[in-house]
Amino acid sequence: MDITNNKTLIKNLKIDAKAVGIPAGAAEIFITKSLKAAEKSLKSRKIITEKDLERAITKELKKYNADFAYVYENRDKII
Amino acid sequence: MLIMASLQLQPGVFALFCHYASGKYSKKRASDLTLFFILGAETVSACLFLCAYYLANLFFFYQFRPETSFFAWVMVGVLIALSLMSLFCYFRPGPGTKLFISRQCAKNLDAHARLAKSRSDAFLLGAFSSVCELLFTLPLYVITSIEIMEMAVEFSPSHLLTLLYIIVPIIPLFIIRWRFHLGHNLADIQKSRVKDKNFTRIILCFSYLSITILFIYFRIIA
Repeated sequence: MDITNNKTLIKNLKIDAKAVGIPAGAAEIFITKSLKAAEKSLKSRKIITEKDLERAITKELKKYNADFAYVYENRDKII
Repeated sequence: MLIMASLQLQPGVFALFCHYASGKYSKKRASDLTLFFILGAETVSACLFLCAYYLANLFFFYQFRPETSFFAWVMVGVLIALSLMSLFCYFRPGPGTKLFISRQCAKNLDAHARLAKSRSDAFLLGAFSSVCELLFTLPLYVITSIEIMEMAVEFSPSHLLTLLYIIVPIIPLFIIRWRFHLGHNLADIQKSRVKDKNFTRIILCFSYLSITILFIYFRIIA
């Protein structure tokens, strides 16, 4: 699975980052590092669900910005 | 009015819309689009209120019709159902503030909030979010219409009440917009919504129940 090249995911994450108030350059670095780390952590698994992926990305994003991670984690729990 | 200000669907969609708009566009454009969302919500609120006037007139103001009390009891049943629903079904169980609307509809609203790029899109999204909450708002509009119609002959404040009833639903939207202007983000707003979830449930339930009791007392017993 190659999530580091998932354009839609990266685009959505960039929108979230800008809305949360993270500068564009920093957001790019956060996103790239988080996606790489998430991909690495899921490499050993044979079956990866959408929830696993979401949890792994949230865990990595939390290291950089708590609000950004919270928005990503709760994006489908708002309405 | 308390109920109108406590309902969560429109503020939820609006918070998402503000979030996406501020993530995609400049501050000025985002502010412009959010204003059109509010305008859409306001227009539909006014239209619904007019429809409620029509319904109230149709079902309740033929004084000598025997069905009048039947419709009053139907209204009481609806209000009791809504008070129970607001306690048990308004928020779905689990974390976050997932609401009663179908998941497909929630996904649609989210997708539209994400993709809205013009004033007309924002206006339609505001209007659509207002319509989605119809189940909880229409009975209130009908009851208010009945009260206002009763008042209209004697009191001029009924006009003020009508105006207030149309304005009140958009006050939470202006508060969210103001919070975004102050630099708050979706995470802050969502955290406060989650914190107030149970309080909102209780307020909605008690408000619907008190309206039911007043309605029974003044329209059925009296």
